[in-house]
Amino acid sequence: MTRDEICSRILAIFSEKFEIDNPGLDDDLREEHEFDSIDAIELLREIEVMLDSQLTQEEKKSAMTIRTINDIVAYVIDMAAVRA
Amino acid sequence: MITGCAAITPIGNTKAEMVRHLTQGISGVKAMRSDGLLTEQIHSGVFGTVDYPIDYAFNRHHRKTMGPVAYYACQVAKEALDGAGLEEAFVTSGRMGVAFGSTHGSPTVQREIYRTFFGQSEQKLRNIGAVDYLKSMVHTTAVNITKMFGITGRVISSSTACTTSSQSIGYGYEAVKFGLQDAMLCGGADEYDTTTVAVFDNLLACSTAFNATPHLTPRPFDVRRDGLVVGEGAGAVVLEEYERARRRGAVILGEVLGFACNNNGGDMILPNMNGIEQTLRLGLDSAQIGPDRVDLISAHATATKMGDVIEAQAIGKVYGTGPLVTGLKSYMGHTMGSCGVIETILALHMMHERFVAPTLHLDDVDERCAMIRHARQLTETAVQVAAIENFAFGGVNTSLIIRKPLE
Repeated sequence: MTRDEICSRILAIFSEKFEIDNPGLDDDLREEHEFDSIDAIELLREIEVMLDSQLTQEEKKSAMTIRTINDIVAYVIDMAAVRA
Repeated sequence: MITGCAAITPIGNTKAEMVRHLTQGISGVKAMRSDGLLTEQIHSGVFGTVDYPIDYAFNRHHRKTMGPVAYYACQVAKEALDGAGLEEAFVTSGRMGVAFGSTHGSPTVQREIYRTFFGQSEQKLRNIGAVDYLKSMVHTTAVNITKMFGITGRVISSSTACTTSSQSIGYGYEAVKFGLQDAMLCGGADEYDTTTVAVFDNLLACSTAFNATPHLTPRPFDVRRDGLVVGEGAGAVVLEEYERARRRGAVILGEVLGFACNNNGGDMILPNMNGIEQTLRLGLDSAQIGPDRVDLISAHATATKMGDVIEAQAIGKVYGTGPLVTGLKSYMGHTMGSCGVIETILALHMMHERFVAPTLHLDDVDERCAMIRHARQLTETAVQVAAIENFAFGGVNTSLIIRKPLE
Protein backbone atom coordinates (compact mmCIF):
# COMPACT_ATOMS: atom_id res chain seq x y z
CA MET A 1 0.00 0.00 0.00
CA THR A 2 1.23 3.48 -0.80
CA ARG A 3 1.24 6.27 1.76
CA ASP A 4 -1.76 7.88 0.05
CA GLU A 5 -3.69 4.60 0.07
CA ILE A 6 -3.00 4.15 3.78
CA CYS A 7 -4.10 7.71 4.44
CA SER A 8 -7.36 7.14 2.52
CA ARG A 9 -8.03 3.95 4.48
CA ILE A 10 -7.42 5.71 7.80
CA LEU A 11 -9.68 8.61 6.83
CA ALA A 12 -12.39 6.12 5.78
CA ILE A 13 -12.12 4.40 9.19
CA PHE A 14 -12.39 7.77 10.93
CA SER A 15 -15.50 8.59 8.97
CA GLU A 16 -17.23 5.22 9.36
CA LYS A 17 -16.18 4.18 12.86
CA PHE A 18 -15.65 7.48 14.63
CA GLU A 19 -17.92 9.84 12.66
CA ILE A 20 -14.99 12.23 12.24
CA ASP A 21 -15.09 13.42 8.63
CA ASN A 22 -12.04 14.85 6.87
CA PRO A 23 -10.00 15.90 9.88
CA GLY A 24 -6.93 17.99 9.11
CA LEU A 25 -3.94 15.67 8.78
CA ASP A 26 -2.15 17.53 11.55
CA ASP A 27 -5.18 18.18 13.78
CA ASP A 28 -4.70 17.12 17.40
CA LEU A 29 -7.34 14.40 17.37
CA ARG A 30 -7.86 14.42 21.13
CA GLU A 31 -8.16 18.18 21.46
CA GLU A 32 -10.11 18.91 18.31
CA HIS A 33 -12.18 15.76 17.72
CA GLU A 34 -12.68 14.15 21.16
CA PHE A 35 -10.71 11.09 20.01
CA ASP A 36 -9.83 9.40 23.31
CA SER A 37 -7.97 6.33 24.58
CA ILE A 38 -11.01 4.09 24.03
CA ASP A 39 -11.10 5.19 20.41
CA ALA A 40 -7.36 4.54 20.11
CA ILE A 41 -7.89 0.91 21.17
CA GLU A 42 -10.66 0.52 18.60
CA LEU A 43 -8.41 2.08 15.94
CA LEU A 44 -5.63 -0.40 16.73
CA ARG A 45 -8.07 -3.25 16.06
CA GLU A 46 -8.83 -1.70 12.68
CA ILE A 47 -5.12 -1.37 11.93
CA GLU A 48 -4.67 -5.07 12.74
CA VAL A 49 -7.36 -5.87 10.20
CA MET A 50 -5.68 -3.58 7.68
CA LEU A 51 -2.30 -5.27 8.22
CA ASP A 52 -3.87 -8.71 8.51
CA SER A 53 -1.59 -9.20 11.48
CA GLN A 54 -1.79 -8.85 15.24
CA LEU A 55 0.10 -6.06 16.94
CA THR A 56 2.18 -6.92 19.99
CA GLN A 57 1.45 -5.33 23.34
CA GLU A 58 4.62 -3.24 23.00
CA GLU A 59 3.61 -2.06 19.54
CA LYS A 60 0.20 -1.07 20.89
CA LYS A 61 1.70 0.83 23.80
CA SER A 62 3.99 2.73 21.43
CA ALA A 63 0.86 3.97 19.62
CA MET A 64 -0.48 5.77 22.68
CA THR A 65 1.51 8.94 21.96
CA ILE A 66 -0.03 9.32 18.51
CA ARG A 67 -1.96 12.58 18.14
CA THR A 68 -2.60 13.21 14.41
CA ILE A 69 -3.68 11.43 11.23
CA ASN A 70 -0.16 11.89 9.87
CA ASP A 71 1.19 10.16 13.03
CA ILE A 72 -1.20 7.26 12.44
CA VAL A 73 -0.18 6.90 8.81
CA ALA A 74 3.51 6.87 9.80
CA TYR A 75 2.73 4.26 12.48
CA VAL A 76 0.95 2.00 9.98
CA ILE A 77 3.87 2.33 7.54
CA ASP A 78 6.29 1.36 10.33
CA MET A 79 4.22 -1.63 11.39
CA ALA A 80 3.85 -2.79 7.79
CA ALA A 81 7.61 -2.47 7.26
CA VAL A 82 8.32 -4.67 10.30
CA ARG A 83 6.05 -7.31 8.77
CA ALA A 84 7.34 -7.04 5.18
CA MET B 1 -39.21 18.42 45.85
CA ILE B 2 -39.75 16.80 42.49
CA THR B 3 -38.96 19.44 39.88
CA GLY B 4 -38.60 17.32 36.75
CA CYS B 5 -39.77 13.97 35.46
CA ALA B 6 -39.71 11.95 32.25
CA ALA B 7 -40.40 8.38 31.22
CA ILE B 8 -40.17 6.01 28.30
CA THR B 9 -42.88 3.40 28.78
CA PRO B 10 -44.91 0.87 26.80
CA ILE B 11 -47.77 3.40 27.09
CA GLY B 12 -45.86 6.36 25.73
CA ASN B 13 -43.04 8.83 26.24
CA THR B 14 -45.06 11.99 26.90
CA LYS B 15 -47.43 12.87 29.70
CA ALA B 16 -50.25 13.25 27.16
CA GLU B 17 -49.71 9.76 25.75
CA MET B 18 -49.46 8.16 29.18
CA VAL B 19 -52.60 9.91 30.39
CA ARG B 20 -54.42 8.91 27.19
CA HIS B 21 -53.57 5.24 27.73
CA LEU B 22 -54.50 5.39 31.42
CA THR B 23 -57.82 7.17 30.89
CA GLN B 24 -58.86 5.11 27.87
CA GLY B 25 -57.73 1.76 29.28
CA ILE B 26 -55.23 1.08 26.48
CA SER B 27 -52.57 -1.55 27.15
CA GLY B 28 -48.96 -1.37 25.96
CA VAL B 29 -48.49 -5.14 26.16
CA LYS B 30 -47.76 -6.68 22.74
CA ALA B 31 -46.74 -10.00 21.25
CA MET B 32 -43.12 -10.63 22.23
CA ARG B 33 -40.76 -9.94 19.33
CA SER B 34 -38.28 -12.68 18.46
CA ASP B 35 -34.71 -12.55 19.71
CA GLY B 36 -33.56 -15.50 17.57
CA LEU B 37 -32.47 -17.34 20.70
CA LEU B 38 -34.86 -17.84 23.60
CA THR B 39 -38.24 -16.65 22.37
CA GLU B 40 -39.03 -19.90 20.56
CA GLN B 41 -38.66 -21.82 23.83
CA ILE B 42 -40.25 -19.41 26.27
CA HIS B 43 -43.88 -20.26 27.02
CA SER B 44 -44.88 -16.65 27.55
CA GLY B 45 -45.40 -14.79 24.28
CA VAL B 46 -46.16 -11.30 25.57
CA PHE B 47 -44.02 -8.27 26.42
CA GLY B 48 -44.56 -4.70 27.59
CA THR B 49 -43.16 -3.11 24.47
CA VAL B 50 -41.76 0.30 23.57
CA ASP B 51 -42.64 0.27 19.87
CA TYR B 52 -42.57 3.95 18.94
CA PRO B 53 -39.57 5.83 17.56
CA ILE B 54 -37.47 7.87 19.97
CA ASP B 55 -35.51 10.77 18.56
CA TYR B 56 -32.13 10.30 20.20
CA ALA B 57 -29.71 13.12 19.52
CA PHE B 58 -26.59 11.74 21.19
CA ASN B 59 -23.24 12.31 19.53
CA ARG B 60 -20.70 9.56 19.04
CA HIS B 61 -18.56 10.71 21.94
CA HIS B 62 -21.43 9.69 24.19
CA ARG B 63 -22.90 6.83 22.16
CA LYS B 64 -19.71 4.81 22.15
CA THR B 65 -20.11 3.75 25.79
CA MET B 66 -23.88 3.23 25.66
CA GLY B 67 -25.84 0.01 25.24
CA PRO B 68 -29.61 0.16 24.66
CA VAL B 69 -30.33 0.55 28.40
CA ALA B 70 -28.12 3.64 28.58
CA TYR B 71 -29.95 5.15 25.58
CA TYR B 72 -33.18 4.87 27.56
CA ALA B 73 -31.54 6.18 30.73
CA CYS B 74 -29.82 9.17 29.13
CA GLN B 75 -32.94 10.14 27.17
CA VAL B 76 -35.18 10.27 30.26
CA ALA B 77 -32.40 12.01 32.20
CA LYS B 78 -32.14 14.63 29.45
CA GLU B 79 -35.90 15.19 29.36
CA ALA B 80 -36.17 15.38 33.16
CA LEU B 81 -33.26 17.85 33.41
CA ASP B 82 -34.73 19.96 30.58
CA GLY B 83 -38.09 19.94 32.35
CA ALA B 84 -36.55 20.97 35.67
CA GLY B 85 -34.74 23.84 33.98
CA LEU B 86 -31.62 23.49 36.11
CA GLU B 87 -28.73 25.69 35.08
CA GLU B 88 -25.65 23.87 33.78
CA ALA B 89 -23.36 25.48 36.34
CA PHE B 90 -25.38 23.86 39.13
CA VAL B 91 -25.70 20.47 37.41
CA THR B 92 -21.89 20.26 37.15
CA SER B 93 -21.14 21.86 40.53
CA GLY B 94 -20.82 18.71 42.62
CA ARG B 95 -23.96 19.64 44.56
CA MET B 96 -26.03 17.39 42.31
CA GLY B 97 -25.68 13.60 42.13
CA VAL B 98 -27.18 10.65 40.32
CA ALA B 99 -29.04 7.63 41.68
CA PHE B 100 -29.80 5.38 38.74
CA GLY B 101 -29.76 1.67 38.02
CA SER B 102 -30.91 -1.23 35.93
CA THR B 103 -31.47 -4.93 36.55
CA HIS B 104 -28.21 -6.02 34.97
CA GLY B 105 -26.37 -3.55 32.75
CA SER B 106 -27.12 -4.17 29.11
CA PRO B 107 -28.18 -7.77 28.40
CA THR B 108 -27.96 -7.12 24.65
CA VAL B 109 -24.26 -6.27 24.96
CA GLN B 110 -23.68 -9.10 27.44
CA ARG B 111 -25.17 -11.52 24.93
CA GLU B 112 -22.75 -10.26 22.28
CA ILE B 113 -19.85 -10.87 24.66
CA TYR B 114 -21.07 -14.45 25.24
CA ARG B 115 -21.31 -14.94 21.49
CA THR B 116 -17.63 -14.05 21.30
CA PHE B 117 -16.75 -16.35 24.22
CA PHE B 118 -18.54 -19.36 22.82
CA GLY B 119 -18.13 -18.67 19.11
CA GLN B 120 -15.74 -20.44 16.80
CA SER B 121 -13.39 -17.50 16.26
CA GLU B 122 -9.76 -18.01 17.23
CA GLN B 123 -9.60 -14.31 18.10
CA LYS B 124 -11.78 -14.29 21.23
CA LEU B 125 -9.78 -11.68 23.16
CA ARG B 126 -9.38 -9.42 20.14
CA ASN B 127 -13.08 -9.50 19.41
CA ILE B 128 -14.10 -8.18 22.81
CA GLY B 129 -14.55 -4.47 22.28
CA ALA B 130 -12.79 -1.93 24.45
CA VAL B 131 -16.15 -0.45 25.43
CA ASP B 132 -18.13 -3.65 25.94
CA TYR B 133 -17.66 -3.52 29.70
CA LEU B 134 -18.65 0.15 29.88
CA LYS B 135 -21.85 -0.69 28.02
CA SER B 136 -22.73 -3.75 30.07
CA MET B 137 -21.56 -3.03 33.63
CA VAL B 138 -24.24 -2.80 36.24
CA HIS B 139 -23.82 0.96 36.81
CA THR B 140 -23.71 1.79 33.09
CA THR B 141 -26.90 3.89 33.25
CA ALA B 142 -25.69 6.08 36.13
CA VAL B 143 -22.27 6.86 34.73
CA ASN B 144 -23.36 7.39 31.15
CA ILE B 145 -25.69 10.02 32.64
CA THR B 146 -22.88 11.64 34.65
CA LYS B 147 -20.66 11.67 31.56
CA MET B 148 -23.31 13.13 29.26
CA PHE B 149 -24.35 15.95 31.61
CA GLY B 150 -21.06 16.54 33.44
CA ILE B 151 -22.57 15.63 36.82
CA THR B 152 -19.85 15.46 39.46
CA GLY B 153 -21.72 14.69 42.69
CA ARG B 154 -22.53 11.39 44.35
CA VAL B 155 -23.28 8.26 42.35
CA ILE B 156 -25.62 5.61 43.72
CA SER B 157 -26.38 2.71 41.42
CA SER B 158 -28.73 0.27 43.03
CA SER B 159 -29.42 -2.92 41.15
CA THR B 160 -32.09 -4.74 43.09
CA ALA B 161 -34.30 -5.95 40.25
CA CYS B 162 -37.86 -4.68 40.75
CA THR B 163 -36.92 -2.21 43.52
CA THR B 164 -34.00 -0.68 41.62
CA SER B 165 -35.58 2.65 40.77
CA SER B 166 -37.74 2.98 43.89
CA GLN B 167 -34.46 2.65 45.81
CA SER B 168 -32.92 5.25 43.49
CA ILE B 169 -35.65 7.72 44.42
CA GLY B 170 -35.52 6.77 48.08
CA TYR B 171 -31.74 7.04 48.44
CA GLY B 172 -31.74 10.21 46.34
CA TYR B 173 -34.42 11.63 48.63
CA GLU B 174 -32.32 10.79 51.68
CA ALA B 175 -29.20 12.37 50.12
CA VAL B 176 -31.13 15.64 49.67
CA LYS B 177 -33.04 15.42 52.95
CA PHE B 178 -29.85 15.05 54.97
CA GLY B 179 -28.03 17.81 53.09
CA LEU B 180 -25.48 15.59 51.36
CA GLN B 181 -26.56 16.92 47.97
CA ASP B 182 -28.80 19.81 46.89
CA ALA B 183 -30.35 17.78 44.08
CA MET B 184 -30.37 14.22 42.79
CA LEU B 185 -31.32 12.83 39.41
CA CYS B 186 -33.00 9.52 40.22
CA GLY B 187 -34.45 6.64 38.26
CA GLY B 188 -33.96 3.38 36.46
CA ALA B 189 -34.08 1.72 33.08
CA ASP B 190 -34.32 -1.70 31.53
CA GLU B 191 -34.07 -2.64 27.87
CA TYR B 192 -35.81 -5.40 25.91
CA ASP B 193 -34.49 -8.61 27.43
CA THR B 194 -35.69 -12.16 27.08
CA THR B 195 -33.33 -13.59 29.70
CA THR B 196 -35.49 -12.01 32.38
CA VAL B 197 -38.59 -13.50 30.77
CA ALA B 198 -36.91 -16.91 30.68
CA VAL B 199 -36.10 -16.74 34.39
CA PHE B 200 -39.71 -15.96 35.36
CA ASP B 201 -40.97 -18.47 32.79
CA ASN B 202 -38.90 -21.23 34.38
CA LEU B 203 -40.31 -20.25 37.76
CA LEU B 204 -43.82 -20.63 36.28
CA ALA B 205 -44.43 -16.97 37.14
CA CYS B 206 -45.05 -15.63 33.61
CA SER B 207 -48.38 -15.10 31.93
CA THR B 208 -48.89 -17.72 29.20
CA ALA B 209 -52.66 -17.95 28.65
CA PHE B 210 -53.02 -14.68 26.73
CA ASN B 211 -50.37 -15.04 24.03
CA ALA B 212 -53.04 -14.54 21.36
CA THR B 213 -54.51 -11.51 23.16
CA PRO B 214 -51.54 -9.72 24.74
CA HIS B 215 -53.56 -6.61 25.60
CA LEU B 216 -55.60 -8.68 28.12
CA THR B 217 -52.65 -9.50 30.40
CA PRO B 218 -51.29 -9.06 33.08
CA ARG B 219 -54.41 -9.06 35.29
CA PRO B 220 -53.49 -7.99 38.83
CA PHE B 221 -55.93 -9.16 41.55
CA ASP B 222 -58.25 -10.78 38.95
CA VAL B 223 -59.22 -14.45 39.31
CA ARG B 224 -57.97 -15.11 35.76
CA ARG B 225 -54.49 -13.69 36.39
CA ASP B 226 -51.81 -16.14 35.33
CA GLY B 227 -48.56 -14.38 36.02
CA LEU B 228 -46.48 -11.37 35.22
CA VAL B 229 -45.53 -9.85 31.89
CA VAL B 230 -42.00 -8.50 31.53
CA GLY B 231 -41.63 -5.07 29.93
CA GLU B 232 -39.06 -2.43 29.06
CA GLY B 233 -38.78 1.25 29.83
CA ALA B 234 -37.13 3.99 31.84
CA GLY B 235 -37.96 6.89 34.08
CA ALA B 236 -36.18 9.76 35.79
CA VAL B 237 -37.12 12.34 38.39
CA VAL B 238 -35.18 15.37 39.56
CA LEU B 239 -35.28 15.74 43.35
CA GLU B 240 -34.28 19.15 44.62
CA GLU B 241 -33.98 20.73 48.04
CA TYR B 242 -37.07 22.83 48.76
CA GLU B 243 -35.48 26.21 49.49
CA ARG B 244 -33.29 25.98 46.41
CA ALA B 245 -36.22 25.03 44.19
CA ARG B 246 -38.33 27.84 45.64
CA ARG B 247 -35.59 30.47 45.27
CA ARG B 248 -35.08 29.76 41.59
CA GLY B 249 -38.81 29.68 40.94
CA ALA B 250 -38.90 26.04 39.86
CA VAL B 251 -42.23 24.43 39.05
CA ILE B 252 -42.75 21.90 41.83
CA LEU B 253 -44.42 18.75 40.54
CA GLY B 254 -44.59 16.94 43.85
CA GLU B 255 -42.80 16.15 47.05
CA VAL B 256 -41.31 12.94 48.40
CA LEU B 257 -42.69 12.71 51.93
CA GLY B 258 -41.13 9.46 53.01
CA PHE B 259 -39.27 6.32 52.02
CA ALA B 260 -38.80 2.92 53.55
CA CYS B 261 -36.78 -0.09 52.52
CA ASN B 262 -36.40 -3.36 54.35
CA ASN B 263 -35.76 -7.02 53.69
CA ASN B 264 -37.81 -10.10 54.42
CA GLY B 265 -34.76 -11.68 55.99
CA GLY B 266 -35.40 -15.07 54.51
CA ASP B 267 -36.62 -16.55 51.25
CA MET B 268 -35.39 -14.85 48.08
CA ILE B 269 -38.50 -15.42 46.00
CA LEU B 270 -41.62 -16.00 48.08
CA PRO B 271 -43.59 -12.89 49.02
CA ASN B 272 -43.59 -12.30 52.77
CA MET B 273 -46.56 -10.83 54.60
CA ASN B 274 -44.65 -9.62 57.65
CA GLY B 275 -41.90 -8.04 55.56
CA ILE B 276 -44.31 -6.19 53.31
CA GLU B 277 -46.55 -5.07 56.15
CA GLN B 278 -43.49 -3.67 57.92
CA THR B 279 -42.43 -1.81 54.76
CA LEU B 280 -45.80 -0.13 54.47
CA ARG B 281 -45.75 0.90 58.14
CA LEU B 282 -42.14 2.13 57.92
CA GLY B 283 -43.06 4.19 54.86
CA LEU B 284 -45.83 5.92 56.80
CA ASP B 285 -43.50 6.44 59.78
CA SER B 286 -40.91 8.02 57.51
CA ALA B 287 -43.54 10.37 56.06
CA GLN B 288 -44.85 11.04 59.58
CA ILE B 289 -48.46 10.53 58.53
CA GLY B 290 -51.18 8.06 59.39
CA PRO B 291 -52.68 5.65 56.85
CA ASP B 292 -55.82 7.80 56.63
CA ARG B 293 -53.81 10.53 54.88
CA VAL B 294 -53.02 8.33 51.87
CA ASP B 295 -55.54 8.64 49.01
CA LEU B 296 -53.96 6.31 46.48
CA ILE B 297 -51.79 3.22 46.56
CA SER B 298 -49.89 2.19 43.47
CA ALA B 299 -49.52 -1.48 44.28
CA HIS B 300 -46.61 -3.58 43.04
CA ALA B 301 -49.31 -5.96 41.71
CA THR B 302 -47.42 -8.10 39.23
CA ALA B 303 -50.36 -10.51 38.74
CA THR B 304 -48.63 -13.56 40.14
CA LYS B 305 -50.83 -16.03 42.01
CA MET B 306 -49.47 -15.47 45.51
CA GLY B 307 -47.77 -12.08 45.23
CA ASP B 308 -51.03 -10.23 44.69
CA VAL B 309 -52.75 -12.03 47.58
CA ILE B 310 -49.98 -11.28 50.07
CA GLU B 311 -49.77 -7.66 48.94
CA ALA B 312 -53.54 -7.11 49.12
CA GLN B 313 -53.64 -8.59 52.61
CA ALA B 314 -50.71 -6.45 53.77
CA ILE B 315 -52.36 -3.32 52.36
CA GLY B 316 -55.60 -4.36 54.03
CA LYS B 317 -53.88 -4.71 57.40
CA VAL B 318 -52.14 -1.33 57.23
CA TYR B 319 -54.58 0.79 55.24
CA GLY B 320 -57.94 -0.97 55.51
CA THR B 321 -60.35 0.16 52.81
CA GLY B 322 -59.32 3.83 52.83
CA PRO B 323 -57.15 4.53 49.79
CA LEU B 324 -57.93 3.52 46.23
CA VAL B 325 -55.55 0.78 45.09
CA THR B 326 -54.45 0.49 41.48
CA GLY B 327 -52.07 -1.88 39.72
CA LEU B 328 -50.36 0.10 36.96
CA LYS B 329 -48.49 -2.91 35.60
CA SER B 330 -51.79 -3.96 34.07
CA TYR B 331 -51.14 -1.28 31.41
CA MET B 332 -47.54 -2.07 30.51
CA GLY B 333 -46.30 -5.19 32.22
CA HIS B 334 -43.46 -5.23 34.69
CA THR B 335 -40.75 -2.86 33.51
CA MET B 336 -38.35 -4.32 36.08
CA GLY B 337 -35.66 -1.86 37.18
CA SER B 338 -37.73 1.07 35.98
CA CYS B 339 -41.12 0.12 37.44
CA GLY B 340 -40.79 2.13 40.67
CA VAL B 341 -39.94 5.40 38.98
CA ILE B 342 -42.45 4.92 36.16
CA GLU B 343 -45.22 4.19 38.66
CA THR B 344 -44.17 7.26 40.68
CA ILE B 345 -44.38 9.43 37.57
CA LEU B 346 -47.76 8.00 36.60
CA ALA B 347 -49.01 8.71 40.13
CA LEU B 348 -47.82 12.32 39.73
CA HIS B 349 -49.66 12.60 36.41
CA MET B 350 -52.85 11.23 37.98
CA MET B 351 -52.53 13.70 40.88
CA HIS B 352 -52.17 16.62 38.49
CA GLU B 353 -54.95 15.51 36.14
CA ARG B 354 -57.23 14.61 39.06
CA PHE B 355 -58.01 11.01 38.23
CA VAL B 356 -57.17 7.48 39.29
CA ALA B 357 -56.72 4.90 36.56
CA PRO B 358 -58.31 1.55 37.34
CA THR B 359 -56.42 -1.73 37.40
CA LEU B 360 -57.02 -3.04 33.88
CA HIS B 361 -58.77 -6.39 33.38
CA LEU B 362 -59.94 -6.55 36.98
CA ASP B 363 -63.20 -8.17 35.94
CA ASP B 364 -63.60 -10.53 38.85
CA VAL B 365 -61.64 -9.76 42.03
CA ASP B 366 -59.99 -12.78 43.63
CA GLU B 367 -61.78 -13.06 46.97
CA ARG B 368 -58.41 -13.41 48.70
CA CYS B 369 -57.57 -9.92 47.41
CA ALA B 370 -60.98 -8.42 48.12
CA MET B 371 -60.28 -6.72 51.46
CA ILE B 372 -58.98 -3.49 49.88
CA ARG B 373 -60.62 -0.69 47.88
CA HIS B 374 -59.72 -1.59 44.29
CA ALA B 375 -59.85 1.08 41.60
CA ARG B 376 -62.16 -0.68 39.14
CA GLN B 377 -63.21 2.21 36.95
CA LEU B 378 -61.72 5.52 35.92
CA THR B 379 -62.30 7.77 38.94
CA GLU B 380 -62.22 11.55 38.95
CA THR B 381 -60.73 12.43 42.29
CA ALA B 382 -58.20 14.79 43.84
CA VAL B 383 -55.33 12.67 45.12
CA GLN B 384 -53.11 14.55 47.57
CA VAL B 385 -50.92 11.73 48.88
CA ALA B 386 -49.92 8.51 47.14
CA ALA B 387 -47.88 5.50 48.20
CA ILE B 388 -45.88 3.52 45.65
CA GLU B 389 -45.09 -0.03 46.70
CA ASN B 390 -42.43 -2.24 45.09
CA PHE B 391 -41.02 -5.63 46.01
CA ALA B 392 -38.08 -7.51 44.53
CA PHE B 393 -36.40 -10.89 44.37
CA GLY B 394 -34.04 -11.22 47.27
CA GLY B 395 -36.78 -10.11 49.64
CA VAL B 396 -36.23 -6.37 49.13
CA ASN B 397 -39.27 -4.17 49.74
CA THR B 398 -39.75 -0.42 49.29
CA SER B 399 -42.47 2.10 49.98
CA LEU B 400 -42.36 5.66 48.68
CA ILE B 401 -44.84 8.29 49.85
CA ILE B 402 -45.34 11.32 47.62
CA ARG B 403 -47.52 14.39 47.90
CA LYS B 404 -48.98 16.79 45.41
CA PRO B 405 -47.70 20.33 46.03
CA LEU B 406 -50.09 22.36 48.13
CA GLU B 407 -52.04 24.90 46.08
